[in-house]
Amino acid sequence: MLFHIDPNNGLAIYEQIARQVKFAVAGGSLRSGHMVPSVRELAKELAINPNTIARAYRQLQDDGVLEAVRGTGLEVAPGALERCRQERLDLIRARLRQVLTEARQSQLDPDEIRALVEAELSLMHQEA
Amino acid sequence: MQPVIRLDDVTKRYGSHRAVDNLTLKVPSGVVYALLGENGAGKTTTIRTLLGLVAPDEGRATVLGLDSTRQGHLVRSRVGYVAERPTLYDWMTVSEIGWFTSGFYPSGFYDRYLKLAAQYELPLKRKIKHLSKGMRAKVALSLALAHEPEVLILDEPTSGLDTLVRREFLEGMVDIAAAGRTVLLSSHQIGEVERVADRIAILHAGWLVIDEKLDTLKDEIRELNVTLAAGARPPHTLGGEILSERRHQHQWQLLVRGLDDEALAALRAAPWLQELGVRTPSLEEIFVAYLKRADEGHRPAPTAEEEAVLP
Repeated sequence: MLFHIDPNNGLAIYEQIARQVKFAVAGGSLRSGHMVPSVRELAKELAINPNTIARAYRQLQDDGVLEAVRGTGLEVAPGALERCRQERLDLIRARLRQVLTEARQSQLDPDEIRALVEAELSLMHQEA
Repeated sequence: MQPVIRLDDVTKRYGSHRAVDNLTLKVPSGVVYALLGENGAGKTTTIRTLLGLVAPDEGRATVLGLDSTRQGHLVRSRVGYVAERPTLYDWMTVSEIGWFTSGFYPSGFYDRYLKLAAQYELPLKRKIKHLSKGMRAKVALSLALAHEPEVLILDEPTSGLDTLVRREFLEGMVDIAAAGRTVLLSSHQIGEVERVADRIAILHAGWLVIDEKLDTLKDEIRELNVTLAAGARPPHTLGGEILSERRHQHQWQLLVRGLDDEALAALRAAPWLQELGVRTPSLEEIFVAYLKRADEGHRPAPTAEEEAVLP
C-alpha cells in the first residue's frame, strides 16, 4: 500500500499511518492475511522515525487490525474489514458533525442545511 | 540507561560572547535527537565541543563515556560526523578519498565505503572538485558511515541540498536509527525534523529553551482559536500554560500546553466563549512560540562580567 504523510496536517504522524492502514483495509486494497511492510522498511520508505512507525503498528494491533505472525511480521487480522469499515464510518460521522456545527454557527437553519446536502449529493451523482 | 552523549554545564565564550551558555543535555541511546535554533544559537559550537574540536571554558562534554576535550581523537574515531560544509581533499577521486580515510580505521572500512558509494550512485573515478554539492554531501556521509559508528552526528546535513538528495539523506539516517544507533543532528528544516526526530532540543543564544520528546510536545500542545462572546473579557488563566497568544478584537488565538479534556470541556461551556476551534500545531509553530517566549522574558539575566564589557 502507498502512504501519504504530511507532518503539518495537524494529525500526529503515527495517527496518519494508522488511519491510512485502516482506510486501505476498509476500502479493500489491504485484505486479511496481507502482510504490512516491516518497521524498518516503512521507516526508510517514508523517511519517518522508526519508533513512530512502531507506535502506529502497536496501535493497529491494539485495535485488532493487525496481528503478529510468528517469525515473519505483521498481517491484517481476520475480522479487520468489519472493524475498519465501522471506524471509517465513525470518522466520517465526526467530520460531518464538524461541518454541520459550522453550518449551524453560520446561522443556517436545518432545512437550508438539508437542501445544501441534497444539492451536493445530486451534483455528485450527475458527475458520476 | 546511560546517555550516549552528555553535556554538563558547558559554557564556551568567544571574547565576551557566550556561544554556549551553561548547557546541560543528555542524549539517550538509540534515539534521533535534533538540535533546533536560529543561526548563532550555539548548535555548531555544541557539536564541535562534543567532538573535541572546541574546548569548553567551563563544564564537561562526553560521548560514549569518553571525555570530549581530553580524548577528542578517540571520540572522533568512534563517531560518524558530517559537517555543514564538509572539507574534503578536492584533488582526490571518490574512491581515493575512501581508500585514504580507511587508513585511520579498522579493516572493512573501504569495502563498506564502496558499498555506500555504489548505493548513492557516486562516480568512483571522478575528482571531488568536480562533484556537485549533493554528491559531495553523499561522499561525506559515506565516509561518516563506513566505520559503522555507534553514534552519528550531523551538522545541518541537508542545508543547501536539493529535495531528492535531502530525501536520500533522511532515508539513510532513518535506517541508521532503525538499526538502533544514536543520531544527533542540527537542522533548520523543521519539517524534516518532525518526520525523523524522537527528541528535540531548542537552543537560543547558547542556552537550552526546551529538551523534550517530540511526541510529548505534540500530545500536550494545542492551538485554540477562540471567538469571544460579545462584550466578554477573556479570563487570565485557562488551566494550561499559555505559550503564545494573539488577539484581534473578538478573535483570540493561543498555543496552550497541558490543557486536559476536562479543562477543554470547561472551556467550551464558558460564558465568555462563543466559538472554539482546537487543532494540533506543527512543530514549526511550537518552535516559533518557544523561541519568541525565550526572546521576550525567559532569558536569564546577564552576569556582571558580561555587563562590564558592554559600553
